[in-house]
Amino acid sequence: MREKPDQALDQKVLKVWTIVAAAEWLFLLLVPVGYWVATRYFPIPEWPLYVLAGLVILAGIFKILIIPKMQWKRWRYKIYDNEVELMYGVFVIRRVIIPMIRVQHVDTAQGPLLRHYQLSAVTISTAATTHEIPGLDEEKANILRDHIAELAREADPDE
Amino acid sequence: MQNWQGKLILMNKWRRQHSAAIFIGFLSNLKEVFITMIAVLIFGQSSQAGGTLFYTILFAGILFVSLVSGIIKWWTFRYQLQEDELQVRQGLIFRKKRYIRKERVQSIDINANILQRLFELVELRIETAGGGGEPEFRLIALRKEEAAAIKRELLLKESASVSEPEEAEAYEASDVFTEETETGLAYETSAVMDDEILEPEEAEEEGTYKWKLSPQRLIAAALTSSGIGIAATFVAAIVSQVQQFIPPFLYERMIGWIIHSGVMLIGFWIVVILLIGWLITIIRTVLKYGYFTIRKKDDEIHISRGVLEQRQLTLSANKITAVRLVQNLLRQPFGYTAVYVESKGGGRKDEDLSTILIPLCKMKEVDSLLIDILPEYAVKREYSALPKESLRRYMLRLLMPALAAAAIITYFAPFGWLSLILPMVAAVYGYWQYIDAGIGNGSGMVWIRSRSVARSEVIVPRKRIQAMTSTQNVLQKFDDLFTIHVSIITSIVGKTFSLKHIGKEQRDDQFQWYSYEETEEERKE
Repeated sequence: MREKPDQALDQKVLKVWTIVAAAEWLFLLLVPVGYWVATRYFPIPEWPLYVLAGLVILAGIFKILIIPKMQWKRWRYKIYDNEVELMYGVFVIRRVIIPMIRVQHVDTAQGPLLRHYQLSAVTISTAATTHEIPGLDEEKANILRDHIAELAREADPDE
Repeated sequence: MQNWQGKLILMNKWRRQHSAAIFIGFLSNLKEVFITMIAVLIFGQSSQAGGTLFYTILFAGILFVSLVSGIIKWWTFRYQLQEDELQVRQGLIFRKKRYIRKERVQSIDINANILQRLFELVELRIETAGGGGEPEFRLIALRKEEAAAIKRELLLKESASVSEPEEAEAYEASDVFTEETETGLAYETSAVMDDEILEPEEAEEEGTYKWKLSPQRLIAAALTSSGIGIAATFVAAIVSQVQQFIPPFLYERMIGWIIHSGVMLIGFWIVVILLIGWLITIIRTVLKYGYFTIRKKDDEIHISRGVLEQRQLTLSANKITAVRLVQNLLRQPFGYTAVYVESKGGGRKDEDLSTILIPLCKMKEVDSLLIDILPEYAVKREYSALPKESLRRYMLRLLMPALAAAAIITYFAPFGWLSLILPMVAAVYGYWQYIDAGIGNGSGMVWIRSRSVARSEVIVPRKRIQAMTSTQNVLQKFDDLFTIHVSIITSIVGKTFSLKHIGKEQRDDQFQWYSYEETEEERKE
């Protein structure tokens, strides 16, 4: 049987994911807040407010505290000489093999959040698909990008 | 420069298309307007918005504008064949220049539909790789010799440039750029990379393989074509609007009659609608696949087909990325199947962006046909069945929604319990899907068989697979099942073939087969 990939993402990505999840959760928070405002102006019952608030808090616990952590724990990748393997996912576990000879180009990209934490995402594109390693240390990401590009260039086209 | 007849006239001179282009363009616009008009009449509430006169004026206006714009378009559209290049300029206010370089041409089709045949002209379609918004380019009215000359210049002649490695070819960033000049003219330069696709030889040559769809097969294909559903819906829509054209007293009498005669009559109408739908599909299929011929010379596969609208398509065997066998429900009992190919470049919207290679043949003939046409794909396919656990997944997936629907119908509708037949059908169908599902690999190929409605088999070479993925959702985890996904390149974007609920061993086997890395065991050996 094939070994599972063993490289983890940078620890700091967890922080980024948590922040993003929290920001998204704020939008979810608008629902009970909106309902609360509505109760001020319209004669509607108050109990749905507590139900909504409860649901949103529950969703928040999952979304901000549990899921990013599980996601981080599950994320594994490995760069071999001839292929890249990724394995990730909480509800759906996804395992991908991308041969080096199929790699068309490799990019690194960072948004403002990733940049703040000196992180970078590596994107690997084939002619048909795109794959991302979402958070590595900036320097490591750059080295990895060049390394994959180098391996892709060297890969034997006759294979 | 080679010397062949007509070259001097054709090259290095700006030319317009044959003036029939105006007429052809106009008539194809007319066709579209006509279809819109019918659609408006059938589906729209035509009684509300001003009536017939309004529409007549509206459509007449549209036609007039399209005629004038057609004339302008023809007048301003000029092309010039240069060495290794087709130059086109067009536009009255915004002028555009486009240079189509030989290296970037993916494929060239020469078609003649009924309008072009009227004038003994042809349509030339050039497909270029990448290159932003317009991967396709059409000249709608050319003399045959001109089209052939362009095709020859852009495809046949050996290119002086060094050819790229095969995979990189179509995907390299295109070098289309637009430059605004001081006068406000926009120049667009585009060049496409590719290898040479030869043009089909008029005369039969030595070493050319030829396959024709026999008339019996054509009829069989038409009878078993699966387009009935769409055609029947259309007929039903028309029938439902008939009341507009029937005088009210007759209509009321008819309604009364229908209510009295009840279920039998409704059944009768359904049968009639299906029959008409079927008839339409049969005619369409015959027109589309009549005179279907494959010619193969070396690496080039030429497909020509069509009765009224003749199409020619050239595929290059080394650009084919997968072969698919599709057996719909009507064809399976007779052992018939259709064969499609996926390729980089080529493929049409109406065929799900695949190209049909063989409209109909017996399942057992497939291998011998593949040996002649695509020998690489003629492998003996042995399928390993899915593990027992996955039967449950296949059945439950269909049973659950069917049961829910049946429960609701039973509760609310009279005779609703009849709907309990739904879950039964679902269960049988799920079992069927499970039976048909299978996967296997060998001699550099992977083959996957599955059923959605039709049963399809897909054969993909390992070297065409861009990435292999396995997924496992929460439910699959209980039984340690996986879904496998195989991604390949097709004409526009990638395509992914999947098989649900395969066993862990099957997954590991596929991964090991696909992996470019040696495993521990292999290294020890």
